[in-house]
Amino acid sequence: MNKILHIFRLLLPVVWLSVMPVSCVKEAQFDNTPEGNLDALWTIIDEHYCFLDYKKEAIGVDWNIMRARYRQRLTKSMTNAQLFEVLAEMLSELRDGHVNLYAAHDVGRNWSWYEDYPRNFSQELQEAYLGTDYKIASSLKYRILPDNIGYVVCSSFQTALGDGNISEVLSYLSTCNGLILDMRENSGGSLTYAELLAQRFTNERRLVGYIAHKTGRGHSDFSEPEPEYIEPSLGVRWQKRAVVLTNRHCYSATNTFIRDVKGCPLVTVMGDQTGGGSGMPFNSELPNGWSVRFSACPMYDAQMNHIEFGIQPDIQMALNEADRARGIDTLIEAARTLLNQ
Amino acid sequence: MTRLFLIIGCVLGLLCCDPVAAQETASFRRASRTTLFGVGGARQQDTYLSPLNYRGLQLNFLFGTQRVTHLLDSCVTFQTLLQADFTSTTNAPEKATYLGGVVHFDAAWHYSFCGSAVVAPSALATAGGRSFRVLLGPQVGASFGGLYNTRNGNNPAQAIAEMHISASAAFLWRFRLWKQPLVLSDQMDIPLIGMMFSPAYGQSYYEIFTLGNRDHNICVTTPFNAPTLRNQLAVDLPFRRCTLRLAYLADFRQSRTNEIRRHTYSHAFLIGWVRQLDILRPRK
Repeated sequence: MNKILHIFRLLLPVVWLSVMPVSCVKEAQFDNTPEGNLDALWTIIDEHYCFLDYKKEAIGVDWNIMRARYRQRLTKSMTNAQLFEVLAEMLSELRDGHVNLYAAHDVGRNWSWYEDYPRNFSQELQEAYLGTDYKIASSLKYRILPDNIGYVVCSSFQTALGDGNISEVLSYLSTCNGLILDMRENSGGSLTYAELLAQRFTNERRLVGYIAHKTGRGHSDFSEPEPEYIEPSLGVRWQKRAVVLTNRHCYSATNTFIRDVKGCPLVTVMGDQTGGGSGMPFNSELPNGWSVRFSACPMYDAQMNHIEFGIQPDIQMALNEADRARGIDTLIEAARTLLNQ
Repeated sequence: MTRLFLIIGCVLGLLCCDPVAAQETASFRRASRTTLFGVGGARQQDTYLSPLNYRGLQLNFLFGTQRVTHLLDSCVTFQTLLQADFTSTTNAPEKATYLGGVVHFDAAWHYSFCGSAVVAPSALATAGGRSFRVLLGPQVGASFGGLYNTRNGNNPAQAIAEMHISASAAFLWRFRLWKQPLVLSDQMDIPLIGMMFSPAYGQSYYEIFTLGNRDHNICVTTPFNAPTLRNQLAVDLPFRRCTLRLAYLADFRQSRTNEIRRHTYSHAFLIGWVRQLDILRPRK
């Protein structure tokens, strides 16, 4: 017994030391060099971006050839700014407003989703319609127009918007003949706030779309799409006609809001196609510390169509330059006409 | 009122009675309590948040209890351990920070192979017989916490929730150095099977908790996909019924679930005390 104990005592440190370097669970690390950073960025997109197959089909972007194409532009002596330019350009091939590269000196972006199109919006005109005596409920500015039409501007879903805010606004406007909800220039924010607002325009549970997520590193590794429903709000719901105004700057959570309310029986979407942005963005980072944002979870409409490049309005309407010169917002006037019919 | 005085009188009488007399009518249960504070370094990676390694500081707090049970001729000790780890780590370019906090709770039953069970190194130091004890037994445990990345958007944090059954082994070795009795102990815990929460590879917490969509979010863990090891090496300097403990804790926690790789490797130096207690038990 003593001998056994003695052997055990001798072996114990050996056993301990052998178990110490347990098999490691690690992710391959890239060097903090121009090549390493480009490879890291390419790999992040390759393994996590959710629209690679769709973008290849829709706009012909083949991500597999991007690494070699942009590696040619790297040099050992290039500056940080030059490296940033190359990496940002590689990302912009995806034409996705949710894809960004963040450095201390700049933000890499592709904003062609609204920059390449007419704005159909004038800040001065909107302010003229709101006047100076409008009310503010969180991110909602609202007033009653002279023809008894409620006018609500929702320029962001980034600010906290509560059920109480929305109920107050709709109660105040409840005597109006109709409602104009001006979503132009709203480039998104929280999906939760978008959903809270959308719930005020339906009296029944509605299937509005699907959501999926990546299940692996492959371009086609996706989960089974899960249906998304909008439940009617327990608070004040709008029971009259409503017109939702859109332009190309309606993006991300606002794009989802338009998806949710389009098709509601009393809602008409009017204006320009939305900007899109249907991939919920995640963040990652490069060896040099630059932050990367990319679309990670695709969302679809109720027919399982992609809405990454926007949603068509029910009524296409553009801001007329002649109207603009006369201080008239073509979209608001068209909405008023529709609601007063 | 008279009854109240009688009760108070009885309680005071019990508290002031002669302990020797008490031993005649009751038995003692040996127990110990350990309190340790630690500081060390941690290295973390969680590919759900970032592919980069993060390094930084870790603070630990450990509170453990141990008592001799009546199982197998009182050769089994029951050990509980509450360990809280707080980490603050940064990536190599020092542009982002992870803030982490995890609480681990473990309960183990150790069978003592080379002599009677002891609950504290000080007990071994004063015990007769063999100077070496080997302990082996099962352990069950659970961990809860989170890891927060200060600059991520829709994937800002990773929740940590897991349960496991482990194999736990320990040894105690009594020796003398410069006439001072010392006890060297080492305990190693290796989870063998368990389950843990994990989002799917690219699944957002919005989808899991707001929309309620589940996708293999509870994963089975084994040493193949979650090779994890916790080892604590300690030196005890017994001093009457209290013991000063100096320890080194190597804690390697890893997992690879839903293609998300995570690890926290930490090394910490701990200091604290072990108190030996005799818990009075009424004789049946």
